[in-house]
Amino acid sequence: MIQLARLGDLVQSLPAIASLTAQYPQRSLDLLCPAVLADLARLFPEVGHVLKWNGTQWHTWAKSFVGEFQPSWLREVQQYLAELTTEPYTIAYVLNHHPRAVLAATLLATEVQGPNLRGPLDEELSPWASYLRHVAQTRGSNRIHLSDTFCGLCGVTPPLAPPILRLPSIELHGDLAEVGNSAGQWIAVVVGAGDADRSIPVSVWTEWISTVLAHDSPYAVVLVGAERDQATALAIQDGLSPMIAGRLWDATGRTTLPQLATILKRCHWVVGADTGPLHLAAAVGASVMGFYFSRARVHETGPYGRGHCVWQADHAIPETWPIQASVKIIREPAAAVQQEAVAGWSLWQSYHDEWGAIFRPVGDRDPEEDRRAAVWRQLSEQSLPLQGVQ
Amino acid sequence: MEIVQARAGMPSARAKGRWIHSAYDPIKEAQAWAESQSYHEGETLVVFGVGLLYHVEALCARLTRTVPVVLVVPDLSVLADAATVRTWGDWIDRVSWAWGTTEAIGERIAEAGHPLRLITYAPAAALHADSHQAIETAMQRRAAAQAGGQLRIAVVGPIYGGSLPITRYAISALESLGHDVRWLDHSVHATSYHQLESLKNSQHRLALQSKYAEMLSRVTMAQLAEDPPDLVLSLAQAPLILPALEHLRRKKFLTAMWFVENYRHLTYWQQLAAGYDFWFVIQQEPCIAALKQAGAKDVRYLPMAADPAVHRPLELTQTEREEYGSDVSFVGAGYANRREIFPRLLCRDWTFKLWGNEWDGATELISVLQRNGARIDTDTCQKVFNASAVNLNLHSWAGTGLDPEGDFVNPRTFELAACGAFQLTDRRTLMPGLFAETEMVTVSSPDELMGKIARWLREPEQRVAMAAQARRRVLAEHTYVHRMRDLLSQIGVTSPDRIGSILRGARQAEALALTATDSFPSLAATLRTFPSTQRVELKQLAAQIRSRGPMGTLSREDLMVLMLDEYRSETKDLV
Repeated sequence: MIQLARLGDLVQSLPAIASLTAQYPQRSLDLLCPAVLADLARLFPEVGHVLKWNGTQWHTWAKSFVGEFQPSWLREVQQYLAELTTEPYTIAYVLNHHPRAVLAATLLATEVQGPNLRGPLDEELSPWASYLRHVAQTRGSNRIHLSDTFCGLCGVTPPLAPPILRLPSIELHGDLAEVGNSAGQWIAVVVGAGDADRSIPVSVWTEWISTVLAHDSPYAVVLVGAERDQATALAIQDGLSPMIAGRLWDATGRTTLPQLATILKRCHWVVGADTGPLHLAAAVGASVMGFYFSRARVHETGPYGRGHCVWQADHAIPETWPIQASVKIIREPAAAVQQEAVAGWSLWQSYHDEWGAIFRPVGDRDPEEDRRAAVWRQLSEQSLPLQGVQ
Repeated sequence: MEIVQARAGMPSARAKGRWIHSAYDPIKEAQAWAESQSYHEGETLVVFGVGLLYHVEALCARLTRTVPVVLVVPDLSVLADAATVRTWGDWIDRVSWAWGTTEAIGERIAEAGHPLRLITYAPAAALHADSHQAIETAMQRRAAAQAGGQLRIAVVGPIYGGSLPITRYAISALESLGHDVRWLDHSVHATSYHQLESLKNSQHRLALQSKYAEMLSRVTMAQLAEDPPDLVLSLAQAPLILPALEHLRRKKFLTAMWFVENYRHLTYWQQLAAGYDFWFVIQQEPCIAALKQAGAKDVRYLPMAADPAVHRPLELTQTEREEYGSDVSFVGAGYANRREIFPRLLCRDWTFKLWGNEWDGATELISVLQRNGARIDTDTCQKVFNASAVNLNLHSWAGTGLDPEGDFVNPRTFELAACGAFQLTDRRTLMPGLFAETEMVTVSSPDELMGKIARWLREPEQRVAMAAQARRRVLAEHTYVHRMRDLLSQIGVTSPDRIGSILRGARQAEALALTATDSFPSLAATLRTFPSTQRVELKQLAAQIRSRGPMGTLSREDLMVLMLDEYRSETKDLV
């Protein structure tokens, strides 16, 4: 399997891995992913070897070749590819509609199944890749979840149950060792979101955390994120009352991806806007609550599984935030189904069945017809018979 | 050389009061020097500077035994000094010695193999600077004569001013040499830039002009990022500021500046000296030393020139002769020295016409000033040159009389000569290296001017003969094609692995195919689909592979090339 995109897409490949290995139990499955994600990918169940794709090295080669191309220099490239695998794979499943992923697959395998119908120079898309492009352009609800389209690209149906990433014992250092171990309920707050326009403002987080930790509530909060999020985490803490500081931990910039996964697994809820960690949280079994705004859409990047909540903003930049309503759901999860409407936001909940994941609006008494089964039938009929797989 | 014992016990040397090797530990010093030298596989190293050969020994120790090393020995007595005080190891067998005349040394170096990389051990080389210069020039000529490859050159021109037409001539010359030239033309911004000059508040005006130049610098960077060239060649006044040049260097762009200005008059080179990899200037010492003092790494003399396609003899009609012709003429701006000298030419028994702008306030000259002092375009200029019996060519100066420090030779000198026009010019210290006394007449003081004008007006046949000789000289040695060929060969010799290899044709399709034949046969076959002399880079190769269409068969080598091209195609983070 070739997955060269970012953290979120890698984690969303888990259902396809589960379905492929269930359908072809006699075959071993290796995974090619960006080198920075390899330590996390090694924790994936059913994956044999994890091959590291060194994008930085490719960039360096490409730069040195510009204006100075010498055929002899390809020997180094050849050596790198030989280190990935000495024998070509029988088949490569490509999950990214990007020339690099298709080329990597063609370099490493005899047969390729992915977005392009007939190889790297062919621009004609497979039915599943066309569907993905269509929904990316038209958006809309009631679509097949990205994780499940990955299954479709691989020629398998979604797994009967959402896969769970079972982690080995991973040590957490210093005060982080306490996370999830003391009494009460733990909430991980994903403070950043990569791009500034996708980040929840510090003042909103301060109010949200103050609300959830108010009085004698049984909660503790751990702030998670990358090194770049450390300043935001400090700003959030500056705005909090010293009274609740004892129930707040700051893990931003202090964890590897496997350690982050461990922290998320130890939490009951994981809340935030950064979809990568939210997908990881869903994969390790935590309940996820997402605030989706800017370019984030629940139908495209909602957390995979059952019982996750996503607040979808009506506008790219929300004017108000559902602080009280979202904290109420954390306190009383069963009350989510009776949640009253919040101006500027809609609340969605995730479900899972034989056609994979779907998000349905909370409180909608007249739900849209579920078209997933029809889409699966239609796309499966259009698909060419799989090659190289028995 | 004076042999002196170093503190560490081994012999060291001094000459003319300067240490050639370290007074403390010559071996350690030589090792550090050798480590700092760059080398690429397949090159032959040519070492300038003999001394006691500690540096040559250290260089041999650093490199594998197969690397050819040629030591240039301009004076065998220096080698004898070294042999007296030092005992050689077996490294000495690896060194080829090149001595004798400049030609003999040049041939010995050429025999050693290509590509050549020049390495200078400066403390020892300084003893024979003139010989080394002559040998390097010979090597450059040889490189220029062999040059056949096509470079991609981005030429950054000024917003306006005298270097703007020179930018055009340089581009035309580079194109005629077969290079792929892209002009980053900032003259299109001239109107906006001049608008700023109308601001009365000088603080505002200067601040905004500076910001404007900074913005154009960023525009240049964006243009370079879109299609990275092999060489960025700036002409004087090009709007590239130091941080931009430093950024280009970090991104491995090679940059050169042809500073076609009087360095004493325009001094902004002080802020830019360290930014360019190569400086080419129209003056010699002390200009070259001043630039190096300011941080320039490589400074070379490259005089002005003419473009024979523009500057040429014209057949003029009678009407044109009447309009543009006179016994004596001058075309140029109203600098102080000209304002002081030219009134002496009035009321004589010859006709005098003055052409050009910036003559405001020169009331004495109004009677001879043509077109009310309007700026004269290039076409008109050529007509005046061709129609005048005696063309005056007084170099500009802000003082009275002639410039006592006058060294460089202005473009007008070459342009007049290329037109086959007779000229009378002021004496310049660099003139004898460019023109002979039989090719143009010079004056050393304004007092000589009247007598010489009168004399040469009386000798029309000799005037024509002298002018014809000057034209032949320009066509043989002083065109922009000559200058650009020199500039590129000098950069090519200094940068043998980049510019040098392209100039040698090592990046042409056939040469690349030859190197690929054994290890990458499929790639070699693709390379052979290009015309054999076409320059081929990763981008062109990938495009050729893609052109096979969706059903095209791809080899493993093709796939590697396509993958590399995917990473290449990302925009460089220059801006």
